[in-house]
Amino acid sequence: MTHGEMQELYELYVLGALEVEQAVQIDAHVADGCEFCLDQIRQAAQVTAALPAMIEPVEPPAAVRERILASIATPKRAPRLQTPLMGLFAVAAAIALVFAFWATGQLHETRRRLEDALGQRDQLRSAIEILSRSQTRAVQFGANDNVAHGRVFVNQNGGFVFVGSDLPQITPDKTFELWLLPAKGAPQPAGLFRANPSGDFVHVANTAVDVKQIAAIAVSVEPKGGSSAPTTKPIVVVPLG
Amino acid sequence: MVPEHTADADLIRRLKSRDPEGLATAYDRYSSAAFGLFLRITRDRSVAEDLLQELFLRVWNRSREFDDSRGSLGVWIMAIARNMGIDYLRSAEARFNMKLRPIDYVDPTALAHRSAEPDVDSKRAVNTALSALNANEKRVLELAYFEGCSQTEIAAKLDEPLGTVKTWMRTGLGRLRTAMKLRAAQ
Repeated sequence: MTHGEMQELYELYVLGALEVEQAVQIDAHVADGCEFCLDQIRQAAQVTAALPAMIEPVEPPAAVRERILASIATPKRAPRLQTPLMGLFAVAAAIALVFAFWATGQLHETRRRLEDALGQRDQLRSAIEILSRSQTRAVQFGANDNVAHGRVFVNQNGGFVFVGSDLPQITPDKTFELWLLPAKGAPQPAGLFRANPSGDFVHVANTAVDVKQIAAIAVSVEPKGGSSAPTTKPIVVVPLG
Repeated sequence: MVPEHTADADLIRRLKSRDPEGLATAYDRYSSAAFGLFLRITRDRSVAEDLLQELFLRVWNRSREFDDSRGSLGVWIMAIARNMGIDYLRSAEARFNMKLRPIDYVDPTALAHRSAEPDVDSKRAVNTALSALNANEKRVLELAYFEGCSQTEIAAKLDEPLGTVKTWMRTGLGRLRTAMKLRAAQ
């Protein structure tokens, strides 16, 4: 299919309204890194973004907002009781409180697991999407078992999957941060992640990686919450060239 | 149309740093648009509430993946919302529930909770373009956007020739494109 033939298909492509055969052709063309098509698709997305205007915004119930914010909040500790009388009340209420805390704990645990599962599912989908692209290439790093080792699967348009083993243990107030290292210029933050207790890790980043400009991907240990620029020497550097 | 905010850059930074106030702000900005979208797609208030909750948990968990070079935060959130709504429509549960209702059914309680927030200027321009669409153009775009139908599926649903449906979609999208370019030029 030529660009001329695709000209009137970009919005339909973004909407998902194309027939499968046409969509697959555009998928493959975009996966090959056609900047013209990517730009056209970005513009098409701006046009189709107008379509929700066909409906009126509707105020959701306040309870939904409360549920969402409660589910991401850290549970607050109850204030300490000060007087003997209140202490007696506390004894009387202890059984009920134990049950309530147990139930609340179960609820938070269930929500946490649900969020984790949803996060893992989304990460898996993103990884499959990147790995299935025809232009994705694999770069191996760390040749022996004593240092962090693994592979980076990188796609210019889809992002990258960073997977491996044997990262060092870090304290809870630290995190691993990925960096895209351009041939010229400052490192660009590309996401935070933690390894499991065995040092295994998988991180999926949907950030586009311009392999002509980005010379390497690196990992450093940063304060929890991440940094805008590396504050420690990278423990892994994976050249992409 | 999703309201655009000049303060989105600060909001994105707060979301990426896992600041709960950032999520609260994002919710206050975009929940009404997303909830309206979910109601339109699912026609079920309780399902729309569940989807809205899941949407903002996804925004919370995936905010670091957001790439502002690909579009605004509002467009990103509404794209996730649309995908979730269409995924729901295609699920077995939804197909069962939807069969129990007439095609134009709208949950009446939904209409009692319209947002009091006035439309932004950009929405007025888009609405002008949308009002210029004829009924057929609007119908095919609705089926594509809100129900995720392909052109062939739309032709079958409306019992119209595929070529006619393609023409309606092409002219409808052309009008929108022109309106958006005019808006961008203003």
